[in-house]
Amino acid sequence: MLFRCMGLAAIPAAAEWLKATERTKTKTKKKAGSLGRRFSMNKKLFTALVVILIFCGQSISQAQSGTKKRRPLPYEYGRVVIDNYSDKTQLAPVVFEHWIHRSKFTCRVCHVDIGFAMKAGGTDIKAADNARGFYCGTCHNGKMLVDGKALFAACSNKMAPGDAKRCERCHSLGKKVASDYDFFRFAKPLPKESYGNGIDWEKSEELGLINPVAHLEGVTPRNPLALQKDFALNPKVEGMPDIIFSHRKHTVWNGCELCHPEIFTGVKKGTSHYTMVDISQGKSCGACHTSVAFPLTDCQRCHSKPVMEMK
Amino acid sequence: MFKRKIIAILLLIGLGLLGGVSAIGEPGLQTAQAAPAREAWQNEFDEVCSKTQDAMTFSEEQLTTLIQKCDALLPQLEKLDETQKKVFTGRLRMCRGLYVYVLDSKKNEKK
Repeated sequence: MLFRCMGLAAIPAAAEWLKATERTKTKTKKKAGSLGRRFSMNKKLFTALVVILIFCGQSISQAQSGTKKRRPLPYEYGRVVIDNYSDKTQLAPVVFEHWIHRSKFTCRVCHVDIGFAMKAGGTDIKAADNARGFYCGTCHNGKMLVDGKALFAACSNKMAPGDAKRCERCHSLGKKVASDYDFFRFAKPLPKESYGNGIDWEKSEELGLINPVAHLEGVTPRNPLALQKDFALNPKVEGMPDIIFSHRKHTVWNGCELCHPEIFTGVKKGTSHYTMVDISQGKSCGACHTSVAFPLTDCQRCHSKPVMEMK
Repeated sequence: MFKRKIIAILLLIGLGLLGGVSAIGEPGLQTAQAAPAREAWQNEFDEVCSKTQDAMTFSEEQLTTLIQKCDALLPQLEKLDETQKKVFTGRLRMCRGLYVYVLDSKKNEKK
């Protein structure tokens, strides 16, 4: 360095001497650090290989089986997260639990009479709508009695000191909020099934353990529906049991207008064809049976007609 | 003559007082009387959309009339405020859709 500063590097002899010195220095350094460097090189190589292997493994598994969704736990099944305007108002998104609501009201009351859309986020609910007594505010108005208790009011135009806690009862994503209903305590006396919420809702109603209300005073404009006949649908796959479609149960819970014509468009029985792929994508039966009603994994709930008569 | 006038005045005062007392004594009734009457469009909406569960039993003419009633109601609903418009036009769309669907299936059966 000193020679360089002095400009001696320009003289050939001095330059040669400089180079030789630097070479010796490098050799010494190399000898001293060879072991450590080799070790660190190996470490780096090893880390790089591990990272590559992880990425390769992930991409191979995804290419083979698609992105796998985690199966929801019984208390999570049917859960809807609504985040239309919550973030803008610095509130957590709303977590709506279908299981408690469906145990108290038929699908028709909420999705026809109150007007909730069938797709999450499709209703475009605003706090003002609730405060005026529409959507959630139809029942959550601080007056309606359920199980002898007045339901908390959903939203209000004026904020009182204790309101933050009330807001959190619905705006609860990522928060630990105590609910009036505990899923496991609620589900304990009800008949079980293997999928969805793990509850046989139909049987629960038959046994009188739940009693979903089909009429809301001042909201529902009609009388209860006359019972419909069940019918069989042929799956057109050899060996696959026929589907026994419970028109009776579906109309009692949903009414006619919830399914026809928006979900089931065909007017002649047997002319519309629905594949399992369509259904799993949320079309036809999949509008409910992928998200709220018993899921598609419960094959025998639909394909239920015996293939052979037992002798 | 004078006596009759006094009796009439006293009767009127008595009736007035009675009305006042009953109004104070029955707040529920007072509230019910003060509650706004249902608007015409609401009654019409209920009348049209309360028949969805009987749609299958209606004749083609009845269904056509119901569809026409739905169409006539729509402009009234579109004049409502944002929330009511959103709720009731959605509900009307569903019941009109059902009537059209049943009418189409009835026509299809004839073919």
